[in-house]
Amino acid sequence: MENGQKEKKFISLVVYLHNVEDYVKYFLNAVIPVCEEHFQEFEIVCVDDGCSDATIEVLKDYLEENKVRAMVNVIHMSFFHGLESAMNAGRDIAIGDFVFEFDDIFVDYDPDMILKTYEKLMEGNDIVAARSKGKVRFSSRVFYALYNSTSRTKGKIGPETFRVVSRRAINRIKSMGQYIPYRKAVYMNCGLKTATLEYESRDREARVKNKIVTSERTSLALDSFIYFTNVLERVSMILCGVFLIISVGMGVYLIIDAFNGQKLVEGWLSTMGFLALGFFGVFALLTIILKYLSVILNLIFKQQRYLIADIEKVVKR
Amino acid sequence: MAAQKYDKIIIGAGLYGLYAARFCALRGQHVLVLEYDSAPFQRATYINQARVHMGYHYPRSLTTAVKSAGYFRRFVEDFGFCIHDRFEQIYATSDRFSWTNANQFMEFCRAADIKCEEVAASKYFKPGMCDGAFLTEEYTYDAKILQKFYEDELVQNPNVEMIFGARIEKIVRSNTAFTVQLRDGSCFEAPFVLNATYASVNQIIDRVEGIDKELFDIKYELCEIILCEPSENLKNTGITVMDGPFFSIMPFGKTGMHSLTAVTFTPHITSYDEKPAFSCQESRDKEAFMCSPESLGNCNECSNKPDSAWPYMSHLADKYLKEEYGYSYVKSLYSMKPILKSSEVDDSRPTAIRVLSREPVFISVLSGKINTVYDLDDYLQE
Repeated sequence: MENGQKEKKFISLVVYLHNVEDYVKYFLNAVIPVCEEHFQEFEIVCVDDGCSDATIEVLKDYLEENKVRAMVNVIHMSFFHGLESAMNAGRDIAIGDFVFEFDDIFVDYDPDMILKTYEKLMEGNDIVAARSKGKVRFSSRVFYALYNSTSRTKGKIGPETFRVVSRRAINRIKSMGQYIPYRKAVYMNCGLKTATLEYESRDREARVKNKIVTSERTSLALDSFIYFTNVLERVSMILCGVFLIISVGMGVYLIIDAFNGQKLVEGWLSTMGFLALGFFGVFALLTIILKYLSVILNLIFKQQRYLIADIEKVVKR
Repeated sequence: MAAQKYDKIIIGAGLYGLYAARFCALRGQHVLVLEYDSAPFQRATYINQARVHMGYHYPRSLTTAVKSAGYFRRFVEDFGFCIHDRFEQIYATSDRFSWTNANQFMEFCRAADIKCEEVAASKYFKPGMCDGAFLTEEYTYDAKILQKFYEDELVQNPNVEMIFGARIEKIVRSNTAFTVQLRDGSCFEAPFVLNATYASVNQIIDRVEGIDKELFDIKYELCEIILCEPSENLKNTGITVMDGPFFSIMPFGKTGMHSLTAVTFTPHITSYDEKPAFSCQESRDKEAFMCSPESLGNCNECSNKPDSAWPYMSHLADKYLKEEYGYSYVKSLYSMKPILKSSEVDDSRPTAIRVLSREPVFISVLSGKINTVYDLDDYLQE
C-alpha cells in the first residue's frame, strides 16, 4: 500500500444505522474517501434497524450526490432488533474478504485508523479492533472487569469503536454453528489471532448517547453474563455449598444431640434429619437443573434470530 | 412514396419477432421484419442467462411455474437442436436471507410437479451456506445456433423480408392499416403490426399515431451477464442459489462457457421512467451512438458501458461455492432489461401481450422468458 497501489482485496463495510439522520453524512464523508483511495473494490452494507427518521433518505441522497462508486446495499430489518442481531444480519450478507463492522457511526478517530486496522489484520490477525484511548465509562469498566474475570474462555474483551473481521474468522464462527448473541465475545472465543489498536479520541463528546441503545446495552450486558460467563452457575454452586454445609452441620448437631442422651422433644430427630437431607437434595437437584438450562440455552442459540423485511440495492441511474 | 404492402409487419428481430415471422410465413402470409441492429438476436435473446425455464425460479408464484413447465417440454421438442441438456442443474436454497427454505422449495416442486431430488449441499457449498441442494431438470439454449436456424429458414422463405438497421420515424393508423415510416423515407403498410421490441416496447408505442398510447408500467435495468471459463468440476454443473439476493452460474448454451449472474449485481443502473432515461446516455458521443430515452442503442456495443461487476459477483459466488468449483473471467455482455412493476412482490414473470388496436391490429408483447413464446400463437392466428 505504501507505493500508492490500491489493495486488490475486497472489503465490506457493515454499518449500523438507527435514527442517525444528522450523523450519517459525516460518517460517509470520513470513511468513503479513505476506502476509495486505498481499495480497488468495496461494498457498503447498511443495516437499517427500524429507522423511523430520514436516515435512509439522507443516505441515498448522499450516495447519488457524490456518485459513490461502491455498491451499497441496505438491509431493512422487519422491526427494531437491537445492535447485535442487526449487525449479525449485516455481516451475514457481506461478501468481502474482510468485513469491517461499524457498530455506530460517530467518527472520533482519524479515518486512517481504518487502514491501520486493515494493515494489522494483514500481519496475520483474524480480528482487529480499534479502541479509544483514555477514560471508559464507569459502568463499562465494571462490566468488562467482571466479565473478564468470570468468562469461561481466555479472550479478554474491552470497549471497541469498530473492528475488522476476516472471512476465515466468519467461516470459523459459522462452523461453530452457534447463534451470536454478543459478537465481541464470540469473536474472542473463536480461537484465531486477535489484536486491538488504540487511538487518541479526537472528540470524546462525539459519541452521542442514544436512550434506546443504552437500555438495550444494559440488558445485553446482563444477558452476556448468562451466555458467556459462569457467574450464575458459581453463585448457585456457592449457595448449594453453603446450604450443604448447613445441612451437614445440622446432621452432626443431631448426632451429637442423640448421643448426649439428653431428653429430646418427640420427633425432633426425625423431623430435622428429614429437613437436612431434603434441603441437601433440593439444592443438589437445582444445580443439575441449572446445568440443563444452560444446555437448552445453547440449543436455542442455533436458531436464526433476526427477521429482515427487505434487502434493497441502492440503485444508480 | 407509395407504401409497400404486407400482411404483417413485425418490429424487432429477437426470438419473439422471428418466431412470429416464421409462424406467419409458414401460413402463407407476407411478412416484413424491421430490426434496429444490423443482425437478429443482438440484444436480450442473446444476452441473458440462456435458461430454458422449467419454473424453479418462481417458488413464490406457482402459476408462473406451472406455465413455464408446460412450455418447457414444447420448447425442448421444437428447438432441441440448440439446447444443451447434458449437465447437472443444481438449485440450492440459501441458509440466510432466502424467502424460501429447503422444505418450502421441495413442497413447491411437488406442487408444480417438477423434478427435484435432494443432494448433499456440502458437495457444492461451504459449510452453513445452503440449507438444501436439489438436482433439477433444466436446460440452456444457444442463441447463436438459434439465430443461424432462423436466418437460414427466413432467408429461404420468399414470404419474409427483413430490413436491418431500420430507424422507425413514426407509425400512422388509417382505417384499415398501419403505415410504418422509416427515417430514410420508405413506407410500409400492413393491417397487422406486432411490436416485439422488448426494452424498446414503450418507445415504439410512443411513435404510433392514431391509437390510445397505453404504455407498459415498467422499470428498466441495464444488466451485465458475465461469461466465464468453468473449471473441470464445474464444467457439467449449473448452480443457482435461491431465493433472494444470490447468484447463478450455469452453462451458456453450447459455448462451453458459463454465465455468471447475481440478483444484486447484474443490474447496474435503473430507470423508473416510462421510457428508459439513463445518465450514461447524456455523456456519450451523440454522433457516434444514437441512444436516448426515445430510442435505445445496443448497450453491448456502447462505449460508455459501466465497469464490470465481476469483483462483486465473483466474491458473492466464492462465498458460497467450494473451491473446486472455480471459474475465470472471459468477458461481459450488457443488455437492457424491462421489468413489469406489478411482478415484484411474488416475483412472477408474466408474458404481457397487449392489443392496442383491433382493426387494424397493433399488438405489443413483453416477456422475459424464451419458452413462453408460444403465448403469441393465439394472437397470430386471428
